[in-house]
Amino acid sequence: MRVLFLVALLGGAIFYAYIAFMDLNFMTRTGRLGPGFFPRVIGVSGIVITLLAIFEELRNKQLQEGSAEQWREFGFLVALALCYAVLLRLFGGYVATALFLVVTLAHLNRGRLMQNLLIAVLVPVGIYFLFDKVLNASMPPALFALPI
Amino acid sequence: MDIFSDLVMGLSVAITPINMLYLLIGALVGMVVGVIPGFGPSAGLAILLPVTFGMDPIGAIMMLAAIYYGAMYGGTITSILLNTPGESATVASTFDGFPLAKNGRAGPALVMQAAASFVGGTVGVILITILAPLFSQVSRSFGPPEYFLLAVMGMLTLIMMIGTNWKLGVISALIGFALGTVGVDLETGQGRYTFGSAELIGGIYFIPIAIGLFGLGELFFAFYCGLHKTGTGSIVQYDKEERFWPTAQDWISTKFTMVRGSILGFVVGVIPGAGATIASLMAYSMERSLSPTPEKFGKGEMAGLVAPETANNAASSGAMIPLLTLGIPGSASTAVLLAAFLLWGLRPGPLFMQQNPELAWGLIASMYLGNMALLAINIFAIPLFVQLIKVPYRVLGPIVVVICAMGTFSVHASFVETYLMFAAGIVGFFMRLYGFSPAALVLALVLGPLAEEALRQTLTISRGSFMIFVERTPSLWIIAVTIALVVLLPLLGRMGSRAKKVEQAGG
Amino acid sequence: MTITFKKGQSYLLGTLLAAVVASPFAFATEASSQEYPSSSETLDWTIAFGPGGGNDIMARTIIDILGKYDLYPGEIKAENRAGGSGAVGWGYLFNQSGSGYGISTTSGSFVTTPLQADTPWQPEDFTPVALLATDDLVLVVNGSSEIQNIDQFIANAKENPITIGGTGTVNVDFIVPTLFAQKAGFEFDYVSFNSMSEQTTALLSQALDAMVGNPGEILGLIESGDLRPLVFSGQNVPAALEGVPTMGEVGHDIGVSMPRGLILAPDAPAEARDWWIETMKKVVETPEWAFYIESNTLTPTVIYGEDFRTFLGNTKNGFREVLKQVGAIK
Repeated sequence: MRVLFLVALLGGAIFYAYIAFMDLNFMTRTGRLGPGFFPRVIGVSGIVITLLAIFEELRNKQLQEGSAEQWREFGFLVALALCYAVLLRLFGGYVATALFLVVTLAHLNRGRLMQNLLIAVLVPVGIYFLFDKVLNASMPPALFALPI
Repeated sequence: MDIFSDLVMGLSVAITPINMLYLLIGALVGMVVGVIPGFGPSAGLAILLPVTFGMDPIGAIMMLAAIYYGAMYGGTITSILLNTPGESATVASTFDGFPLAKNGRAGPALVMQAAASFVGGTVGVILITILAPLFSQVSRSFGPPEYFLLAVMGMLTLIMMIGTNWKLGVISALIGFALGTVGVDLETGQGRYTFGSAELIGGIYFIPIAIGLFGLGELFFAFYCGLHKTGTGSIVQYDKEERFWPTAQDWISTKFTMVRGSILGFVVGVIPGAGATIASLMAYSMERSLSPTPEKFGKGEMAGLVAPETANNAASSGAMIPLLTLGIPGSASTAVLLAAFLLWGLRPGPLFMQQNPELAWGLIASMYLGNMALLAINIFAIPLFVQLIKVPYRVLGPIVVVICAMGTFSVHASFVETYLMFAAGIVGFFMRLYGFSPAALVLALVLGPLAEEALRQTLTISRGSFMIFVERTPSLWIIAVTIALVVLLPLLGRMGSRAKKVEQAGG
Repeated sequence: MTITFKKGQSYLLGTLLAAVVASPFAFATEASSQEYPSSSETLDWTIAFGPGGGNDIMARTIIDILGKYDLYPGEIKAENRAGGSGAVGWGYLFNQSGSGYGISTTSGSFVTTPLQADTPWQPEDFTPVALLATDDLVLVVNGSSEIQNIDQFIANAKENPITIGGTGTVNVDFIVPTLFAQKAGFEFDYVSFNSMSEQTTALLSQALDAMVGNPGEILGLIESGDLRPLVFSGQNVPAALEGVPTMGEVGHDIGVSMPRGLILAPDAPAEARDWWIETMKKVVETPEWAFYIESNTLTPTVIYGEDFRTFLGNTKNGFREVLKQVGAIK
């Protein structure tokens, strides 16, 4: 699995270096270090070291991987977090936060419905008072305001 | 004595009931904005600036300054408890603060960070009081060559962050450097990796990356490890048997750390643009290279928490020097303070302290009082924060996701940055799982652009010659200190540890 | 970041009302054109930058003046919509095309951001109300320098290669010395910094030969003699820089400056624009405005309506030309 992550990084490094060589100048017209100088250095070293790491990885792969269940738990939380990110854009900070908390807690904190609902309502309200009223900070605005 | 009478005069200006109230409000607000990840002092200051319009300048400036240094106290709390730095200056505090809490020492860690913050802040104000004119010379001797050397010095920390597998460590740092090149190139104005997006013109901001990599990444990892399934499972342990207060050993072993951290932090803080983040990182790496047991760092060493904490607070005091004596703000936060001064028609500059002695000394005097107030607030608040970690992780976890998202959004009201934070969280999880170094990535992201810009500025000024680094006295000084840090300190440390071993063997 | 300026009602009620009115599903306005401004409409004031910055302070100053002199009958909701160097906030205003109740203040990025990124809008797209002031720059050298005045500076620059510092490249800081040098006939190396404070320390540390900057931020150092002002890029020298010639006075006028003005959404109704022009004529007469201009060392340059649009177009084209010459943009 680590090798997959490294391969993904290698892809990123190649893309990064490609742009550095195609779009960015190595030197400026006046002969100083150009905008592409460091990106090329970073890109090339990135490719080389990632390749080294991949070879090493292929030679000795004794790194033990987590169980399927561990991955399921992780994947579940990541999926929920990403849904939350999308909901934030659509429904704004308060609604999205309440929805996210209800769904996530229903799974994680099973069987305590009242407690979960209470948290899902109180946390956005608390954040609202702290951010909006006390600190006058911005909260994600809703793209579609729910009629509440 | 002259300074003494000035200070007494300042105290008499500062100690009025109404000014004390403003100071307390400022300290409290500072604490709160510091605790919220992402919501740093500059955002807090800017938001409260309009509130002060109707106020008397001295009270208002005391309050705003208290927000600024108060945030340094608050920022560490989430670093210790949730591995989520409240703001950039407290990233270094996660390195040992979070392991301390994991080892069941959350209480002592929080008390020690409050004490360290107090020492750093107070030493900083003392140094302002007696040495402001001298240090104003330091802050005016820094040009691009010096900034470049300073960034290189900061990168020494990077080498220590790289850890056991050097390839993975270097890859982590390279990712950070790569992210640092995004944005409009300062020198030529050409866009780099912006792909026409206006959001990327200004580059990739450090806060969403740090919150994602550390805070969210750690959280995902905890779920991967199944922490939420244990009954009262909590990411940090809090043992009732464990004493809330630090042990005598904690104090004794860190007393010199506090002194070193304060002085280093102050000096770095005086340099405009270097600031508390670099000060705290340098203090951490200095402490580690001085330590007889460097291998304990990163696993919950008290000195590893105390060093960056004293340094970032001392640096926030130090940053007042260029602000007051030159009118040059060293950071985003002091820039807002400068805007406040200008709003009242005050012009900080070399003549400021002579022309407005009451205001200048009133502010300095208030900083002594403010630091005391913050220490008290912290000690009282710690039991509250300790309650937080008793919440079972399966409930706390989702709330932390919410806090990370809201905190990130509040900085620039940017969805792009919020998404970036989530992405950094997933990458941070894999980095943690596969033995990469998120700390090296974040450091490279901070130092990379600084080094690149300063180097290119330097070479433009010198017309391509590297001789400029040895022609300027301040540059030579930094080179000397860097060599001392690299060569001499580890030697000293090794001698110290050998002496200790001999002692133990003998006794 | 919503600040609701209430009139009469309780704070909470006011906020609720504002929230309802601002929601996209709020009632469509009936007979909107009858009278501008209608006191039942909330004015949606976009600040395209975060709190505490120049744009924010200007917007809030104007809002304060409107409130203090009772110039605007309805509610004003000021919101910081920062991001993408102004692209987000002005993009938001751009999407309110046709409305008379969307308003914003401009600053330098209003011209430079569309040059750097693919914004859906251009500065000329918006309904111009007024240019209120310009940001102009002063050229300074270190106080210990042997150069005492601009003539010596130019003479020296023709003999020796010099460096001039400024903030950013796609910025007036770069354009002004470049145009000035072209007119005065000298060459220099431009050193770009991230902030005014970095370039000021660089000049104080004698790494740079000269720099350009907003006078407001360095007046303290000028007053103490640490920095010596040589020439000013605006049309009128601010009181604090008395005795310093303008670029026009030394015979090399460049005619570029950063616009601080007021705009409405594109294609705003004519009566809305006219109402705002009349109102701004009152605003610029107030002592509060004079204090704002003075404390921020801006140059009061007031032009209204279509003239402002022309000004924006000219400034943008001037910028594009210089930036193309040096290869910063394509």
